[in-house]
Amino acid sequence: MFSQNGLSLDQAPPISVVFRFFLSGSLFGVLTGAFVLYFGSDIFNADSTKALIVTHTLTLGVMLSFMLGALFQMLPVIAGIKLTSPVKKANLVQYPLVLGILSLLSAFYSGEPALFISASLLLGVTILGIASIMLKNLLALPNHSNSSKGMTIALGSLILLTLFALYLTGTLSGFFEGTFYGQIKTAHYSFGLFGWIALLIISISFQVIEMFYVTPPYPDFIGKSLPMRLFGLLLIGLVFGFFFANIWRIVDLFIIVFMLCYALMTLRRLSQRKRPIADATVWLWRLGMVLLVLSMAAMLTTRFYTLPPLNSLNYIFFAGFALSIVFAMFYKIVPFLTWFHLNAQGYFTAPMMHEVIHPKTAMKHLYIHLATLTAFLVSVYYAPVIYLAGSLLILSFGWMLWQIVHAWKLYIHTQKTGEKFEMTMPEVEG
Amino acid sequence: MPEPTKIFLDARELEHPAPLERAIAAIRELGNGNYFYMIHRKNPIPLIELAKEQGFTVFSKEDSDGIWHVLITRDKSLTLEALCNV
Repeated sequence: MFSQNGLSLDQAPPISVVFRFFLSGSLFGVLTGAFVLYFGSDIFNADSTKALIVTHTLTLGVMLSFMLGALFQMLPVIAGIKLTSPVKKANLVQYPLVLGILSLLSAFYSGEPALFISASLLLGVTILGIASIMLKNLLALPNHSNSSKGMTIALGSLILLTLFALYLTGTLSGFFEGTFYGQIKTAHYSFGLFGWIALLIISISFQVIEMFYVTPPYPDFIGKSLPMRLFGLLLIGLVFGFFFANIWRIVDLFIIVFMLCYALMTLRRLSQRKRPIADATVWLWRLGMVLLVLSMAAMLTTRFYTLPPLNSLNYIFFAGFALSIVFAMFYKIVPFLTWFHLNAQGYFTAPMMHEVIHPKTAMKHLYIHLATLTAFLVSVYYAPVIYLAGSLLILSFGWMLWQIVHAWKLYIHTQKTGEKFEMTMPEVEG
Repeated sequence: MPEPTKIFLDARELEHPAPLERAIAAIRELGNGNYFYMIHRKNPIPLIELAKEQGFTVFSKEDSDGIWHVLITRDKSLTLEALCNV
């Protein structure tokens, strides 16, 4: 959460700005689990509407919510950017975002053109609006760190993938003919998975791994150049994809190599920590990187062999990678923000970070997450286990929901009943 | 006048957010005639702002190895710059 210098009090967004996105992200997580229970193992059929619904609940509802919350928190920290009127901006983003996601999911389910149009308007205006504001602030920075540079590119990808999505929903609602539907769809998910989700995680890790976990810095070929090269590859795929569909096969191979280099280097850096003790967040980062390696290995194999379960495994590995990092960040951000804001307000009786979320509570969530992933993997081969996987997913996000409510209650309780720090200076003798 | 008491914290290898949490706990115990001295791998802006906000005097300086020396006191009679080992 801190850059070279850290979060200053006048730049820190109100705690409610971050918590509200984490809250809606967790609720969408519970909804994802409910969809898994309702649709069963049909979600593994990549061409089905059910897969589309679960994927977008996860990527838009869960990940985008958590990532927007984290960006509101981290932009002041990593890039020294102070977003003006953060509460107003958060409200203007969150409500249309939630409505837009629900509208899109309903549109996928019913195929109703009007729902596609309302989803396009709500999501298009909201995502393009907030991403443009954040991007504009980042572009105005005189000096960039590897993190802020990566975030800039990730936000650029978010804007592009949203524009592609508008073309796709425009086609589904009958607005466009959809001449380039296939090409744009490939670009949409490629920019979504690698240009946005993976790249944002990578950019944040440049800061977080080195600073939170006190490791040596990433080498330049990753820290300085990977984000731009990754984005360049995606642009090559986008442009040449209109003429040669096979270009993505080559682009994907390079992406796999980049992702493997990054994941293996991050695992190495985590092994070079100065403290031998690992808490749940360290294990979640390690798990996330192992899942990214497995995802890339599965993706590589599918380029040479047609093995249907591999696509499902790849889906689970990649989602597991992204969620592991989201959970790791969650357990760092929520206790810290609660403690930090109460201390900044001068509360002597502010709870310590481990009292906001106890490390054992985070560890229990790690076990639930591991059990969830295992259940999903088993369900690829033995379908009935999907119901256990869906239930565990609900438990996993319900667990997070409870942590947010608990932290918020502690925050309010301390504000109402807490003792303020003695501000008056004692008289100095002599 | 007796030598002021130094309360020392080497936070260079502590993982975030332990340096901030320990420093805040330490400075709350400060009184007259003592000061908090922390060495850290970065200049801890949140700690400095929190301390200033709560009426402490703060001084921080980076040494030639890139290590930050942060001194905090409530005792207005102490000159932190003179107590800094940089």
